[in-house]
Amino acid sequence: MSSRTRGSSLLSRAAGARGAPAPLAAIASLDWGAFAPLRLKSRLVAEGIYAGLHRSVRKGAGVEFAGVRAYVPGDDLRFFDRRSLLKHDRWMVREFETETDRALWLVVDATASMSWRGSGPGAKYGFAALLAAALARVALSSGDPVGLVTIGGAGGRSLPARAGRESFERIVWALESTEVGGDFASDDRAFERSLGPIAERARRGSMIALFSDLVDLPARAARAFSSLAVGGRAVFAVETLDPDERSLPFKDHARFSSLEGKDVVDASPDEVRAGYQARLRANGDAWERELVGRGGGLVRASTDDPPERIAREVVLGFADRARAAESRSEGQKR
Amino acid sequence: MSFGAIFALAIGLFVVAPILAHWLRRRRTEDKPFPPAKLIPRSQPTARRRSMLEDPSLFAVRALSVLMLALLGATPFISCSHVSATRKGGASVAMVLVLDDSLSMRAPMRDGEKESRFDAARRAARDLASAMREGDTMAIVLAGAPPRIALATTTERGVVLETIDANKPSDRATDLEGAVALAEGLLQEAPQIDKRVVLLSDRADGHPDAEPIDVKDAEIALWEPLAELAARSEADCAVASATRVDQRVSVRIVCTQGGSAIGRALSIRAPTGAVGSAAIEAPGSTDVTVEIPKDASDRLVVELAAAAGDAIPGDDRAAVSTAVPNAGIVVVADPAKNRLVTGGAPPVEQAFAALDLASAARPLPQPPEHAEDLKESAGLILDDPPGLTPEQRTAVIEWVQGGGVLLLSLGRGAGAAPLGAGFDGLIPGVVRYGPPGADDVDPKRCAFFDASIASLVKLGTRGRAQLEHSATEGATVECTFADGAPLLVRRELGRGAILVTTLPFNVDESDFALRPAFLTLLDRFAEEARSHGGTRRVEVGRDFTFGGAKSVSGSHTPLDGSPKFELEPRPLNGIVHVTAERAGAYDFKVGEQREIRVANLPEPEVDLRPRAIAERAHATELGGKSPRVDISPQIALGLLGLLAAETLVRIVLRARRRKGDRSDDAASPANDDSAASPAQP
Repeated sequence: MSSRTRGSSLLSRAAGARGAPAPLAAIASLDWGAFAPLRLKSRLVAEGIYAGLHRSVRKGAGVEFAGVRAYVPGDDLRFFDRRSLLKHDRWMVREFETETDRALWLVVDATASMSWRGSGPGAKYGFAALLAAALARVALSSGDPVGLVTIGGAGGRSLPARAGRESFERIVWALESTEVGGDFASDDRAFERSLGPIAERARRGSMIALFSDLVDLPARAARAFSSLAVGGRAVFAVETLDPDERSLPFKDHARFSSLEGKDVVDASPDEVRAGYQARLRANGDAWERELVGRGGGLVRASTDDPPERIAREVVLGFADRARAAESRSEGQKR
Repeated sequence: MSFGAIFALAIGLFVVAPILAHWLRRRRTEDKPFPPAKLIPRSQPTARRRSMLEDPSLFAVRALSVLMLALLGATPFISCSHVSATRKGGASVAMVLVLDDSLSMRAPMRDGEKESRFDAARRAARDLASAMREGDTMAIVLAGAPPRIALATTTERGVVLETIDANKPSDRATDLEGAVALAEGLLQEAPQIDKRVVLLSDRADGHPDAEPIDVKDAEIALWEPLAELAARSEADCAVASATRVDQRVSVRIVCTQGGSAIGRALSIRAPTGAVGSAAIEAPGSTDVTVEIPKDASDRLVVELAAAAGDAIPGDDRAAVSTAVPNAGIVVVADPAKNRLVTGGAPPVEQAFAALDLASAARPLPQPPEHAEDLKESAGLILDDPPGLTPEQRTAVIEWVQGGGVLLLSLGRGAGAAPLGAGFDGLIPGVVRYGPPGADDVDPKRCAFFDASIASLVKLGTRGRAQLEHSATEGATVECTFADGAPLLVRRELGRGAILVTTLPFNVDESDFALRPAFLTLLDRFAEEARSHGGTRRVEVGRDFTFGGAKSVSGSHTPLDGSPKFELEPRPLNGIVHVTAERAGAYDFKVGEQREIRVANLPEPEVDLRPRAIAERAHATELGGKSPRVDISPQIALGLLGLLAAETLVRIVLRARRRKGDRSDDAASPANDDSAASPAQP
């Protein structure tokens, strides 16, 4: 049995969020560059995010009557309208609206490839952590719980979705204390295991955001991540690349070796640049197709992009998909 | 240090320096960590790509072209160990190759080398034949005794090369004079101005002190292109012959001048093992007698132990022949009737002695009455016998049928043969004696006497025997008188033959016995007798003969261990001939009877001293070894072929590339779903 709900808007509340800078715990093994201190930078980014109201699409038991509709087999009999049956001899069910929170789950790629820094302002992980912390702050300021999952890395931990002011501190601490490393390129199961807490704990209507370069993940990673988009969950991925990874600006012939896997390629950049960029684009396109097919989306970002713009695209992307899902739901009811 | 060495070092430095500089400047490819490395397509470094082969087949064609061009440019400087003839103004040449295939050519070219003189001579012959051009003619004469024409004059290079390759060294003696004369004869009618006798021989013909070898015709040049083929008077000892008489084997050892077999062991081997041995104790050529068991096999081989410095090891073996009584000629002539005014033996015996034939003439007072009496004889001459008694007739017929040759002259005595003492079985019909007819013979019908026919005129005949018509039926009339009456008739009887003359050898009856043609008659008769008798031991190069044999087959196993080969009998004038090419034993099957005959080495051939040759045979204008080699026509042809090959390869490659492009278009990433797989380059 479904009930129409109306919840507080995470995005609207995030728009006016302000937070004081917190001391930054540096990670020696990672070149944070311009993304440190994370606590301070994330607050600044969060303040720049425009947020609008959104309506919860979660349906469930509520307190505000929203009307009746015809009974269909499978509806919860607790909401069966006996009076309509007695009065009009028609089988009807009663519907309610309720306010509810929407959890935000942050999935941050902390495998070895994310530690790489080219000509960008910092390592890819730093940019991903900055975006994640900023979104967490916006969500927390709206009262929505925020959870964190890291893929790979050491020293970090998965945090359950919690609301409250301490959650932001915990998330920032977790992101800063994670030592980037690990090789997930050829381990499908390890990636799926990392997503396990979300699959188990994320409730209906949760928003799941992945921050990764998407290049060294296993072959079935896109499908595994997009499969989280069930039960009203929304998935979104942010392709986080260094500007050098987008443009391949090198001149001399070199032997390129990946940080994960054992790929070693001899190539002259000037000659293979076009082919490389086409392949990179095709890789992102494949992720986008997979996510869009599940109602999600993909944002392509470079570490030299303004983080506010990227975070705003993510928020708007979640909002668009929430509205689309709501309209689909209403259409079905009609 | 010479200027040449310094120049060579400078050239070497010029080549090596850039290579060293390249190695020093060479950098290792920079290792660059890059997370999306697997999305980068591979590419070769520029330098490596420049040196990379796009198409190996095209490269191969090009490389060959460059190589051939370089060869073409280097042609004027190329010289190699190659025999070629220099042409007078580029004119065509008529050449006769005199290829020596005698025993001495088996000697190695140099001490310790495997290549024999014959191999070198054959290689030179091939070089000359390969250089034949249109208009050139070539013939091949083999100088092993007797000289033979291996190939008549031809313009076909392939045939010449084939003939050269087919020749093998023999154990023959050398007859250089005969071979050169034969070659001259072949060149007489040649239309070319440049005529050459090309001598490829070691000149070791056993006559080192004879006149230098030369041609007689001034228009013909004698050319010895390989002077190093000449024998070097090497030391050599050979087993010339071995004859067995009962339990003794007499071995003839022949050594070159300065050669000695002292201390070398001589052994006689049967198929089952050694049956006798002896040590050589005398220097130079010598005879050694070795005792062998009485029951020793009839297939014995004499072997001289190998020794260092022996030029031809192959002549250290010989097959042992069994001694047979000398096959002689029996003459039955009545001394009373054949008395000469000057005295002495009857004319036929004196003429026989004058011929100096190897076969001995044995006079008998009357024809034998038993065939056994003629067993050791090859020929029988009956000069005007007064008939033959039945016993004599039977014995003679039996002997002739067994292979004997009878020369029967008929005259007054034969015509007066008493009744019952005729010539039945030998001559059909009755023999009569009558008055003379024509006094001359018909030269057109007397080819038997060859050039001596001119002497058969005005024979002064006082009478002649007359034969019935049946006497010439089935017979060959070898010569007739001018009036057509037969003078000489030849009849075959069994394996033997009968020669009948209608003039006796009595000088009182005619002058026939006093004319040169009579000697020709006796010579041909003796030769035929020898052929029919079949000498059991010959020198290599001579023929084994089998007169009257219905079938002859045989095989020979060379002494040097070469494979056994079948012999090829040649019938010639009713006599089967088999030439002995190699020394050793020959197994024959004559009809149903088996015979072993032996060929021995010719003794003079063991002399390895070279005979002199005319100086002009080494004239440089004739050509020689290591001249410039003109291979430009072949290279030009090759370049044309490569050009065609390159065109073909290019067409094929272009078609293949077009096909590949179409395939790429069909499998472009836009149409390939698999290309869009995430993180799968």
